[in-house]
Amino acid sequence: MFDDPRNYLWLIPVLPLLAGVVTALAGPRWLRNQSHWPCIIAAGCSCVLSFFVLNAVADGFYNAKEYYTWFEAGNVSIGFTLGADGLTAVMLVTVTLVGSLIAIYSIGYMHHDPGYARYFAEISLFLFSMTGLVLAENFIVLYAFWEGVGLCSYLLIGYYFTRPSAAAAARKAFLVTRLGDIGLLIGILLLWSNCDHLLDFQNVFEIAPTFEPTLRMVICLLLFSGAVGKSAQFPLHVWLPDAMEGPSPVSALIHAATMVTAGVYLVARCTPLFGVTPGAQLVVASIGGFTAFLAALIALTQTDLKRVLAYSTISQLGYMFLALGSGTRNEGHLLAGLAVTAAIFHLFTHAFFKALLFLSAGSVMHAMGNVIDMRRFSGLRHVLKKTHWLFLCGAGALSGFPVIFSGFWSKDEILADALEAGSPGSFGSFVYLFLFCLGMLTAGLTAFYTFRAYFLTFWGEVRVPGEAGEHAHDSPLVMIAPMAILALGAVALGLIFGPTGIFNHFLETYWMKKSFEHLLPEVEKHHHNLLVMTASGVLALAGIGLAWWMYVRKPAAAKELAQTLPRLYALSRNKFYLDDIYGAFVRLLAGFAQVLRVIDLYIVDGVIDLLAQVPRWLGMLARPVQNGLVQFYALLMMLGLAGFLLSVLMR
Amino acid sequence: MFDFLWEYWAALFPAALGFAGIYLLLPRLDRQYRLLGAALGGAGLLAAGWFLVENDAVLPETILFYAFSALAILGGGLMLAQHNPVHAALSFALVVLSTCGLFLLLAAPFLMAATIIVYAGAIVVTFLFVIMLAQQAGLTSADQRSREPFLACLAGFVLLTALLCVLQKNYDTHKFDALLAKIQELAQAKTEKDVKRVLGDPADRPPGNMSPPLFAELEKSFVDFDRGKADLLLIQTPMPVAKLATFFQDFEEQVQRARNQVGALQPAADLPLSSFSGLPPNKELAKGKVRHEMPARNVAGLGRALFTDYLLAVELAGTLLLVASIGAIAIAARHREGLR
Amino acid sequence: MSLVTLHNYLAVAAILFALGAVGFLARRNLIIMFLSAEMMLQGVALNLVAFARYRGNLQGQAFTLFILTVAACEAAIALALILMLFRRRKSLDVSLWQDLREPDLEPIVDEEPLPAPPEPEVLPHLTPAGREPDHPREETSHV
Repeated sequence: MFDDPRNYLWLIPVLPLLAGVVTALAGPRWLRNQSHWPCIIAAGCSCVLSFFVLNAVADGFYNAKEYYTWFEAGNVSIGFTLGADGLTAVMLVTVTLVGSLIAIYSIGYMHHDPGYARYFAEISLFLFSMTGLVLAENFIVLYAFWEGVGLCSYLLIGYYFTRPSAAAAARKAFLVTRLGDIGLLIGILLLWSNCDHLLDFQNVFEIAPTFEPTLRMVICLLLFSGAVGKSAQFPLHVWLPDAMEGPSPVSALIHAATMVTAGVYLVARCTPLFGVTPGAQLVVASIGGFTAFLAALIALTQTDLKRVLAYSTISQLGYMFLALGSGTRNEGHLLAGLAVTAAIFHLFTHAFFKALLFLSAGSVMHAMGNVIDMRRFSGLRHVLKKTHWLFLCGAGALSGFPVIFSGFWSKDEILADALEAGSPGSFGSFVYLFLFCLGMLTAGLTAFYTFRAYFLTFWGEVRVPGEAGEHAHDSPLVMIAPMAILALGAVALGLIFGPTGIFNHFLETYWMKKSFEHLLPEVEKHHHNLLVMTASGVLALAGIGLAWWMYVRKPAAAKELAQTLPRLYALSRNKFYLDDIYGAFVRLLAGFAQVLRVIDLYIVDGVIDLLAQVPRWLGMLARPVQNGLVQFYALLMMLGLAGFLLSVLMR
Repeated sequence: MFDFLWEYWAALFPAALGFAGIYLLLPRLDRQYRLLGAALGGAGLLAAGWFLVENDAVLPETILFYAFSALAILGGGLMLAQHNPVHAALSFALVVLSTCGLFLLLAAPFLMAATIIVYAGAIVVTFLFVIMLAQQAGLTSADQRSREPFLACLAGFVLLTALLCVLQKNYDTHKFDALLAKIQELAQAKTEKDVKRVLGDPADRPPGNMSPPLFAELEKSFVDFDRGKADLLLIQTPMPVAKLATFFQDFEEQVQRARNQVGALQPAADLPLSSFSGLPPNKELAKGKVRHEMPARNVAGLGRALFTDYLLAVELAGTLLLVASIGAIAIAARHREGLR
Repeated sequence: MSLVTLHNYLAVAAILFALGAVGFLARRNLIIMFLSAEMMLQGVALNLVAFARYRGNLQGQAFTLFILTVAACEAAIALALILMLFRRRKSLDVSLWQDLREPDLEPIVDEEPLPAPPEPEVLPHLTPAGREPDHPREETSHV
């Protein structure tokens, strides 16, 4: 049974689904505090199965199977086709491993929460949707699971739905990603209409690259718009910081490690299409780079720890898109393969260290009585010792601390690819050079604001806010253990995969060579650009040093700098006023909606009510006949009889 | 519409007069129109008598019929017009007595007696008793006013008109009788002059059409009329009066038989009725007779019919009487303490 | 030379029936209403007997006997009910019983008042002999 992965491929999504259903039905009443068991078991089994899939793919498995015909209509037949190749295997391992660890963490974090069962049901549902998304082999199923993860995100962000801010944040997330999803759907439909009404990846990626350039560009941009929405790129990034209203494990799972990477996965999956459309890749890279820079600027002045991490997520996702967009083909420098693998590698490492950071922030929140404003606590390295070391690991990885941490290696590859794309003679080289510079600057800023947050939280005098009460102690083992494993991954993965290039090689061999060999360069070039590595390492250390100096040595320096540049500070603090601009637009639409409501209520409903009144009026016309007088009734009977006789007579 | 009016004017005219009369006679608060109403009602009655039930025979039967019917209708009108309920009840008694007279004319002596005893004797007296028990002092709106007089009269008289028109359409034998009279004259013709008197002068008819208009009418009205033969007989010179008379005598017999069938629906011959109920009506009438003879004396025959053919109905009627009497006592009893 | 035909009797019966119908619909006294209904039955009885005569059998007369019976039962029960109704409202007016009308409708009442009953005649009366007649003491004027 285990030799053909197609036999157990379907279990990977289905087990969490079953766990979710069981938890939802039996959790609130019967399982209660043990509601986590179905989810943990399912996630664990999925993780094990994902490793089996990885093993099978490494042995050369590359296949898909249609498990169930969803619907057939005319000449369209859509089935639940699941398949695995290198990309899918990597994503599966990421999702299930990180998911399982976060589920274990949640046991401790959500311990006293009344909605315990609901939480685990939703987490299971999310795991089902995400694994289904990466396993999908045609666009419709992909889109279905895309919406599924969006739904779970809504449910989990709005987990504390009694808080108006949480409910509003959930709505905002759903609606903003919906804007991107519209583009995605139109793109899928364009593909469908132009690809002989076929939507499975194999056929589409054979036919689509032969389209005329304009059509290809439009389709690529539409597909990318879905990624912009889901992966929180400019201009649809506004939902991710507000999504921090959800519990910290949720932020770790969905908004750091898995869901937001769905956009990256989509663009990576469509590499055959993007690879032959340099214009679209330029757009992707530009938006990615610009978003990375913008988010880093905003993160400089945030006071909420989780917001800082949210903006850093946006920034890192920008890096991934920058990498995806750097795979332009040109003479002599065929980059398509390397750039995409760099993006996926960064996705992989980012999942680990960002999840670790969010879980640590959750641990801090748990200890501080749900206070996460950095201005209200400090010096926590004496209070929360283990959390401190784990947070430090994650911060180091994020800021790209040289050599030891994984973030260094993956970010480095991206910057190297951007530089190569900017080499003279290739398509859009100036833009790529500019983006490279932007990327380097952002790397420095990343290090700065990460360690700013670290120093503000863990250094300085020991201050604990009043809400903490008795909770100001370190987290229990059930929360620390997953974080430790993630920290191990954040370190080890970089050391193992970074210098050796096993990861990239794996992806190339088991995904790219099988799917789109004609796009790849003839000669496999995997090298490390020592110059870029040194430069980024120096920038990272500089950023860390600056943060140390501004927040440990001279704490007043930060305030002085803020007062010197008041307008820049205000811009950064207020997220460049983007939320306000969107808010004005939304208010305009809300007014229009009010007008429509009035029309619906008074005109449409009014017409229906009028129609409903007609029988009443007819009845009121006929009522006076019943006046209670017997003679009147007899009179009517006689008149009727007389009329009838006369009509018969005169016929 | 106008054809309708013209065809049935004999029914419409008395009905219209009666409508006006009764409308004015119904109880109303102002009493000035009562004389006019009475006059109109009487005129309507006379018109009905003249046009509707036209009869030129002066037999005791006819006179009695006219008298009793006029009395019945007058009584009915009086009953409607009286304010005093006692007077109205007495008028009703008059109606019942007149109707019993009509029963007598229709060879139903037992019914006449039974109706007088039961109806006029028992029921009307009961009504009078109740009027006495339910007396109201002074003038009451129950007696002085009427409810919707116009519409009520309209309903009643439209119904009446419809009924009379239907009756006239089905049973009116005037034209029939005129034709029959002419045929009878032809049957008894002795000379050519008699024939000419009935059929008209040959010189008056348009040339090329020697057939008299009477023959055309006869042909239209009777299927069996052999017009060709009649024409042949007429044309011969000298006119064979005797043959013509014989021909028309035979024809008269046919027509008379048809005349007697008017108004007699023919039920199936195999209806399970015993001979005690009388002869089935589709039995051929004897020559020269107009109506069947009654099989036995009325009371005996009625008794036999009741207790053989209608036994179940008689038993049920008896039960009904019992139940009604118990019911009447139960409804109207005053329930006092200790007294039942 | 025509005798009284079936048609004539039927016409008379129809007229009686119609008069009875008008009386039932127009009169307001309960008892007179029922009397009019009885008159309608009379017309029908006349109809039946006429048909019996002209068809030469006794079916119509037997039917009329049953009509008589049923009319008697009906009269008994109807009069009992009328007595009950009279006891409730102390009046025989059928227009008082309008309670089964639609709930929102106003009851139909008469608007014109009844004329005043005629005053009883006051006849002159002589004083009985042997007693002084009552007369007011008049004041004589002394002119």
